[in-house]
Amino acid sequence: MLGKGDMGAEPPGDAVRLIQQIAQGDRGAFGSFYDRFAPFVLTFATRLLRARSEAEDLLQEVFLQVWRQAGSYTQDRGSPEAWLITITRSRGIDKLRSIRRRDKGFVSIEEPGGAEAGRELKREEGETEARLMIEGPLARLPQAQQRVLEMAYFDGFTQAEIAARLGEPLGTVKTRMRDGLERLRGLLGAKAAEGTG
Amino acid sequence: MNHSEWLERAEIYALGALDGEELRQFEAHLAAGCASCETRLRETREALTLLPRALAPVAPPPGARARLLNQIAAEGARPEGRRPGWLWWGIGAGAAAGLLIALGWNLSVMRQELQKLEVRVSALRAEVAQKEQTLRLLSDPQVHLVSLAGLPPSPGAAGRVLWNPVTRTGILLTSGLPAVPRGRAYELWAIAGKEAVPAGVFTVDEGGRTLLRLPPLPEAKTFDKFAVTLEPAGGVPQPTGPMHLLGSL
Repeated sequence: MLGKGDMGAEPPGDAVRLIQQIAQGDRGAFGSFYDRFAPFVLTFATRLLRARSEAEDLLQEVFLQVWRQAGSYTQDRGSPEAWLITITRSRGIDKLRSIRRRDKGFVSIEEPGGAEAGRELKREEGETEARLMIEGPLARLPQAQQRVLEMAYFDGFTQAEIAARLGEPLGTVKTRMRDGLERLRGLLGAKAAEGTG
Repeated sequence: MNHSEWLERAEIYALGALDGEELRQFEAHLAAGCASCETRLRETREALTLLPRALAPVAPPPGARARLLNQIAAEGARPEGRRPGWLWWGIGAGAAAGLLIALGWNLSVMRQELQKLEVRVSALRAEVAQKEQTLRLLSDPQVHLVSLAGLPPSPGAAGRVLWNPVTRTGILLTSGLPAVPRGRAYELWAIAGKEAVPAGVFTVDEGGRTLLRLPPLPEAKTFDKFAVTLEPAGGVPQPTGPMHLLGSL
């Protein structure tokens, strides 16, 4: 039951209530929360780690953390989705960085093709699928902005690492990130206004 | 640094891409309690949830759910995470209520007890939040600790101001100040040269203690002293009453 792009798109208040019930030890609420958000978390984890089995392990870890720390969630810190993403990303990036340290050559992770890392590649249409992207907000951003957002958000590179890998000045990378984020905030506002959640 | 630069850093921080000195400085800025940066961080994180939503969905494997539920069942009936404090008060109040019924007390008495507990819980929550802020300030390398000494009207009194000149935030802690006379209040002053800027009005408990969060103070001024005077309740724009505490940066 995976609706394209509508994962976890029910009213956020319901999800908040589920988290509160989980904090009281309600396993039924935990099951419902899992059913609603596991595809969202696994999709994100798969893109982060680019390996299905490791992503499934991460899914398990994230939901165990939800069970253990539901009491620490408060709505003023963000939506349940943003909370889940923070947990998933934090654990996922740790894994990614330890794999990179182990393997030294992060070429194989960032560019599965490998050989031409270090300079920005002109991506073909087909590569978009390899990056697991579908039609969505990223498609509406200029390519240069998409690239830096993806490298930071999904590949866990910092601004300095991105600048080095793209051979661009740090200031240019920061500007692209901020411009991209500004457009994303605009898209989120438009989405909320449409009421499509 | 212009505050819009902090907001820009907040965005890159939300993206997880801030690094080096900028990261350390921003985390210290955030720890000192900057509401507008917290808001920008939250908004950016929400906007970023659009990115994973744009990915082709991946369905969890069929056995994963059952495995997870077995694991949490094995961990015990309840999550190990901290329970909200009110829950324990609620449980305590529930037990107390049962006892009162057994003793034949009427319902209104129990309601009053519950209300008292709720008030107590709110007070404890506020106290915990204040203490957390104090700890954050204490661990911030940008924060100055200013000792305030008791002057002749209250030689036994003492105070401390934790002041972050970068974020313009801080708190005042006092002890041993005399009880506030009716119609009066203590007022804290941040002093830049000969100019005193009002920095909050407060009263004290029976130990002469207070914990006051300073309001946002003007950016252009470099404060070199803090002082406490006794003023009409509600505070005044310039000090008029006797000075009880004084200290220099």
